[in-house]
Amino acid sequence: MSLPALHVVRPKTVDEAVRVLAQHGPQAMILAGGTDLLPNLQMRLYAPQVLVALKEISGLRGARAAKDGALRIGALTTLSELLAEPVVRQKYAVLAKAAATVAGPLQRNMATLGGNLCLETRCRWYNQSHFWRQSLGGCLKKDGTVCHVAPGGKRCWAVWSGDTAPALLALDAEIEIAGPAGERRIPLESLYRNDGMNRIALQAGEILTAVLLPAAKAGWRGVYNKLRLRNSIDYPLAGVAVAMDVDGGGVCRDVRVAISAVNPAPLLVHQAGETLIGKKYSRELIERVAHAAIQRGKPLTTSGSTPVYRREMLELYTRRGLEEVWGGRTHSADRND
Amino acid sequence: MHRELIHLTVNGERYEVAVPPQKLLLDVLREDLGLTGAKRGCDDSSCGACTVLVDGLPVLACAAIASCHQEAQITTVEGLAAGGELTPVQVAYGEAGGSQCGFCTPGFMMTIHALLAQNPNPSDAEIREALSSNLCRCTGYMQIYEAIRLAMKRAQQPAEARS
Repeated sequence: MSLPALHVVRPKTVDEAVRVLAQHGPQAMILAGGTDLLPNLQMRLYAPQVLVALKEISGLRGARAAKDGALRIGALTTLSELLAEPVVRQKYAVLAKAAATVAGPLQRNMATLGGNLCLETRCRWYNQSHFWRQSLGGCLKKDGTVCHVAPGGKRCWAVWSGDTAPALLALDAEIEIAGPAGERRIPLESLYRNDGMNRIALQAGEILTAVLLPAAKAGWRGVYNKLRLRNSIDYPLAGVAVAMDVDGGGVCRDVRVAISAVNPAPLLVHQAGETLIGKKYSRELIERVAHAAIQRGKPLTTSGSTPVYRREMLELYTRRGLEEVWGGRTHSADRND
Repeated sequence: MHRELIHLTVNGERYEVAVPPQKLLLDVLREDLGLTGAKRGCDDSSCGACTVLVDGLPVLACAAIASCHQEAQITTVEGLAAGGELTPVQVAYGEAGGSQCGFCTPGFMMTIHALLAQNPNPSDAEIREALSSNLCRCTGYMQIYEAIRLAMKRAQQPAEARS
């Protein structure tokens, strides 16, 4: 399929991009790496009149130290470039591990970190061709009035299907946003609205320009476990990011656990900190956090696997992730369990 | 239909074409430049049949807009054997049976050439990882891996020993 007729604007600066976006309002969409937006456009999931291609804006790529010691990563940094950054691999393991699982190497050569944080939510009733969707009369998210996942409900459950977002939540990352009112810096967590229809809290004219990894999280142990049908290319069916600061005696100084692909947003499992901080390795405590993860996750019939199976894998991957960062156990299997 | 004059550098040649501004790189290559090596396979950017090199990096031409690639050096499968002589990987592909129906072959070729340019001696695991965005529906993966190992082996032998 080809793309619908539209204009492509290629601004050279962030200011120019913000101006064009603000001018066209909801008629304009941001194009970064294209691996999510362009296939969706080919399926006619949106009908913008203008694409604002960020590619030619310089200064939005690469990683460097910010004034406060945080690592500032430009939003247009591709996932391949991110994986090639030694500081990311050495100091922010959970991010490197999550980024390495995104799609396949060709997609990672194109896909950007900013784009991965702003992915469209996904659902088996939504990510289909125009013909397929039309045959069903559409759905709540697009061209219809009924949610086929939860009929009768007025809420869209299309699922957050990104891998780097949970890893960055586990690192307590912040993001920089440029917009008509200037720049703002917010915790990544507040970007996500947990609404399948309106997934992120970017206002008209706003662009995510950078991700900031706090210096205090550098060197934390980290793991990302991802469930998918094929070991390459596929979006997650469930994902768990675990990051932990462990002292020399094996005591958990701090921990953050985030889950993905089981809700319309990537979400932190807040009980992880309450349960584990100040404690030594314990299977029983890990079980409690794994249980908290499945209380937080709400897998529904949005994806190519059953909610029951994804819920069980969510529990297993939370347990595994914690055992790996805390107990030093490694699991070779990241394939089908 | 609104058209825009764009410039593309493909296989070392500079082209000027008038295309709709949203036209995909894959469609411009195939329809406007007559370079039909890159294939449209899956229509959702998950099969790799449309793989081309952009500044040496393998990417999906079906998820790229042509007018956004005017500064880039683009290489398609037609650019590999430009002088008429097949590359060592192409020769080995024929010998090992790496190509069956042939539809995925141009895409695999581009990914393999990019891999070997960056890492002339990849391990089996590195080969599998590098090729994991390219799908072969004939499932001829073993022959494809064999062809790559054959080409690598020949590259390590001195030129005279090969003839």
